[in-house]
Amino acid sequence: MKIAETIKRVLGVSSIVLMLALAACSSPEGQGQHVDSKEIYTNGTMKAELTSPPFVPAPVGDRDAKQLTVDMEILEEVGEMTDGVQYVYWTFGGSVPGSFIRTRVGDEIEFTLKNHPDNKLPHNIDLHAVTGPGGGATSSFVAPGHQITFSFKALNPGLYVYHCATAPVGMHIANGMYGLILVEPEGGLPPVDREYYIMQGDFYTKGKYGAPGLQPFDMNKAIAEAADYVVFNGKVGSMTGDNALTANVGETIRLFVGNGGPNLVSSFHVIGEIFDRVNVEGGSLINENVQTTLIPSGGAAIVEFKVDVPGTFIIVDHSIFRAFNKGALAMLKVTGPEDKRLYSGKEQEGIYLPEGGTIQTMPGEVPVAPEASSVEDRIEMGRRVYAQTCLACHQPEGQGLANAFPPLAGSDYLNADVERAIKIVIFGKTGEMTVNGATYNSVMTAQTLTDEEIANVMTFVYNSWANNKTEVTPALVAKVRSSH
Amino acid sequence: MLKNRNLTWLLMVLCLGIFASGCGDKTEAESALYQCPMKCKGEKTYDVPGSCPVCKMDLEKLSSEDAGPVLADGEVSDESIFHLTSQWHTQNNEVITLKELQGEVLVVVMIYTSCQAACPRLVADMRNIHAAVQDESVRYIMVSIDPETDTPERLKEFAIANEMDNPQWTFLQGSVDDVREFSNVLAVKYRKITPLDFSHSNIISVFDQKGVLQFQQEGLGVDNKQIVAKVKELIS
Amino acid sequence: MMRRTSTILLGLVLMASTGLGQGSPTMTVIQGGAFVPLYGSDSAEVAVAEFELDIYPVTNAEFLAFLSENPKWQRSQALRLFADGNYLAQWAGDAELGTGMDPAAPITSISWFAAKAYCACEDKRLPTMDEWEYVAMASPTAANAQADSVFNQWIIEGYETPNTARKKVGGNFANFWGIHDMHGLVWEWTSDFNSVLISGESRKDNDLDTSLFCAAGAVGASDLMNYAAFMRYAFRGSIKANFSVRTLGFRCARNVEK
Repeated sequence: MKIAETIKRVLGVSSIVLMLALAACSSPEGQGQHVDSKEIYTNGTMKAELTSPPFVPAPVGDRDAKQLTVDMEILEEVGEMTDGVQYVYWTFGGSVPGSFIRTRVGDEIEFTLKNHPDNKLPHNIDLHAVTGPGGGATSSFVAPGHQITFSFKALNPGLYVYHCATAPVGMHIANGMYGLILVEPEGGLPPVDREYYIMQGDFYTKGKYGAPGLQPFDMNKAIAEAADYVVFNGKVGSMTGDNALTANVGETIRLFVGNGGPNLVSSFHVIGEIFDRVNVEGGSLINENVQTTLIPSGGAAIVEFKVDVPGTFIIVDHSIFRAFNKGALAMLKVTGPEDKRLYSGKEQEGIYLPEGGTIQTMPGEVPVAPEASSVEDRIEMGRRVYAQTCLACHQPEGQGLANAFPPLAGSDYLNADVERAIKIVIFGKTGEMTVNGATYNSVMTAQTLTDEEIANVMTFVYNSWANNKTEVTPALVAKVRSSH
Repeated sequence: MLKNRNLTWLLMVLCLGIFASGCGDKTEAESALYQCPMKCKGEKTYDVPGSCPVCKMDLEKLSSEDAGPVLADGEVSDESIFHLTSQWHTQNNEVITLKELQGEVLVVVMIYTSCQAACPRLVADMRNIHAAVQDESVRYIMVSIDPETDTPERLKEFAIANEMDNPQWTFLQGSVDDVREFSNVLAVKYRKITPLDFSHSNIISVFDQKGVLQFQQEGLGVDNKQIVAKVKELIS
Repeated sequence: MMRRTSTILLGLVLMASTGLGQGSPTMTVIQGGAFVPLYGSDSAEVAVAEFELDIYPVTNAEFLAFLSENPKWQRSQALRLFADGNYLAQWAGDAELGTGMDPAAPITSISWFAAKAYCACEDKRLPTMDEWEYVAMASPTAANAQADSVFNQWIIEGYETPNTARKKVGGNFANFWGIHDMHGLVWEWTSDFNSVLISGESRKDNDLDTSLFCAAGAVGASDLMNYAAFMRYAFRGSIKANFSVRTLGFRCARNVEK
C-alpha cells in the first residue's frame, strides 16, 4: 500500500515538474510572445566589423546587445562593369553592394557616415532597419569632406536593405549606393557552415550592353526601366570562374540575398539546388522546399540549402534573359565526393539501347551480321560495340570510375587472364575484386552480345590503352560460353 | 586652548597654501585630458595618463582643441561670433557690435515681426526657456531676417506687445548683407517667398559668455529640457 | 619679403598668360530676364535684373594673389568661425599651391566667408542663387535650355566625371552669354545658398515638415525633370558657410552701374 502511495506521489510530482520544464523550455518566439525590443538592455560597446561582398562578418552568436559603432565611408570611384566597360560607381565602403553590417536586435548603433573629400556630391543613408524619420536619411545628409553621426536602436530582427536617399534618389541608387544590414534575433541565427552576401542591381548606361569605354548613367533608360546590365554584386562575372563562391559537399549554405534595384524585381534561383529554408522577404516567415524566390526591389531574402553533391551550381535571376544576356549570373562551386544515388554526375551522350545494345530482330527475320575480316576490322567494329555497351560505365578511355567501375585501360586484372575476362562479359560478375591496386565491389550484368560482338569488343579493348594486344576470336568466345 | 587655536590656524593656512598651489597646477592639468580610445566609459576623461580600467588600453591624450582652449580674460577663441564686425541697431536705436554682448550667455533666434505662422511659437518657446532658467545673466536676442520692414521702431512696438521690453530682451536690425552673414554663422536658412513673407528654419541657438556656439534646438514646441539644462550649465 | 614679391609677380604673370590680365575683359553683362527656378515659390517666375558676372571662376593664381594682400585669410590665420578644417587643406603652405595644382585651375576648398571677402576686395559680390541659375540654364545656343534633355544629360555626366576641379578654367564651351564653366568644372558659392530649405531626405522634400521650416509649405520643386538642377540644390542644402569642399569654388558678380 505504502509503496503504491509513494509511486503515485512520485508520478504526480514528476509529471508536474515535467510540465513546468516543458513550459519553461519552449522559446518565447515559438509561443508568439515577444520581448519588447525597446527595453533590451545593452552591455558594453563594440565596433562593428564591416565586410566587402561576398563575405559577411562573424555571426553575433549569443552575445548581449551592445552599443555598436559603425563607420561607413562613401567613395565615388570608377570601376569595371565588364570587359572594356567602365562605370562611375558611387559606393558605401568602396564596393557595390556596400559593406555588410551585422547587428543584433537591441543593439544601439552609433552610425558615422563619412563623405570622402574627393567626392562631388552630398549623400545620406536610409537603412530599412531603422525606426525613425527617413530611416536615418534626414539626420545623415553630408557634404563631401565632412562626416555626420546619428544613432538608432535595432528593434526588429531581419535582413534589411540600406541605400542613399539624396535627390535624385533613383540616380544615387542606380549608381550602386545600396547594401544590406542584418539584425539577428536574440541568440543569433541557427549556425550553418558557410554564409555569403549577394545583391542584385540593375544598371542603365548610355551605350548598350558591352559598348566599350566609360559609360555614363542614362536617366531616360532608368525612367523607362530598360536596363542594360542586371548583375550580382555590381559587375558582370563578379562571382564566376575564379571568383566563384565555394563550398564542400555536405555543408549547409546560407545566402543573404538583397535586391538594390532601382527598378527590377528578382526571381532568385540556384540551378540544381532547392532552398531548404527561405526567410521570405528577409523577415520571420519561413518557407521550405522553394525553387525560386521573389526578392522585391529594395528588399531581401535569406535562403539556406545543403549541398549534397559536387558540381558548379549556377545562381541566376530566373527572368532568364537577364541571366544570359545582361549578366545576372553567378556560380557556386562545390567540391567533394560524389553520391551516385543522388546524382550520377556524368553527362554523357549515349544512344539509349535497352538490353545491352544488341541488335533486335523481328521473329522470322534473320539478319546477317557482318563479320570482321581482319584485326583492324574487328577493332573498328569493337569500338562501336564499346561505345554503345561498355562506355557508360568503363568510360571513353577505359579509365573506369573510382569506387564504382574498374578500369580497362592498363588493367592488370584484364591482362592477366583473357578467358576470365570473356567469361565476365558473357555471364556477368558480382563481388569484390582488385584492379590496379584498387578494390571494387559492384555488379556487372551479363551482356547479351553475340560471340562475334564479344570478340570484336574485346579485341578493341585489348588493343587499346596500353593493354596486351590480344585478339579475341569468336571461336574462343564460343568455347568459354560452352564450358560454363 | 591657545595651542589648539594656533594649530587650527596653522592647518587652515596650510590647506589654503595647498589649494592655492594646487589651483595653479590644476589649470595646467585640466588643459591635458586623457580618454580611452575605445570609449569604454563613453565620454569620460581622466586628468592623468594611465590605462583604461575596462579594456586596459593606454589612455590617449586629447588635443587641447578637443578639450577646449584655455583663454585669458578678454580673449576670444577662433569660433567666437565676437569676431564679426557687423553693426546692429537695437529696438532702442542704439548701435552695437556683437562684441559688446560679451560676458553674458546668449540665447538667439532669428524671426521677423510680421510672421504669422511659426514665429509666434518660436517667441513662446523663447519665453518658456526664460521662465525655466530664471537668471539675469542670460540675454535673449531676436534678430530680424527682414531688416527692411523691421526698423528699430517696429521692433520696439513688437517688444512692448510681447511684454519683452526690458533689458534682458534685445531685438536687432542689421543690414541685409550682415543678416545673411549672421544667419550663415548660425546655419539658419531663410528665403523671401513673397514681399511680406519669409520661409526660415526654426532654430534657437545658445552662445557662451565668450561668444562660442554651444547648443542648438531645432523645431517648434520642442521639449526644452536639454536647452534649459545647457543654459544653466553655462551660467554656473 | 622677397618670397611674397615673387609670389605676387608669379601670380600676375600667370594671370596675364591665362588671358585674365588687365587687358582682356574679365566680366560680361547679363541682360535681365525672368525664369522659373527649380526651387521657388509655387512655380512662380522670378525676375533677374541686369548684372555683370565673371566669365571664368576665380583661379588658384588669383586667390593666391589675394592671400598675399590679405594674410588674415591665409590658412594658418583664418578663424575657425569663417573656415573649417578643410580650408586650403591641400595647399603646401600659406602662400604655396599644392603639388601638381594648376594655377589656372579654379580655386576650391575655400569657405563662403573667404569667397565673400575675395569678391568684396575687388568691389564685387557673390552672385545670388537666382542670378547664378539664370546664367546656368543657358546652353551655347539658347538663353533658356531647361527643356533641352541632351544638354541636361551632358551636365549630369559632368557631375559623375571625377577630378574635373583640377582642369584649367575656360576649357569648355562658352554659353549663350559668353560665360564659361558654369558646368563641368566645380560647384560654385552663391550669396544666398542658405535659402534652400531642404532637409536632404529628398522623399520628404516634396512635403516639407512645417515644424522644421517656417512657411515651408510654400516652397517646393517646380520641375522634377530638371535633375541636374536638383543635384545642385541638393548640394547647396548640404553645405554650411564655413565648409571648404574640394569640388566647390566661386566666381564674382557686380551690379551694373547706371
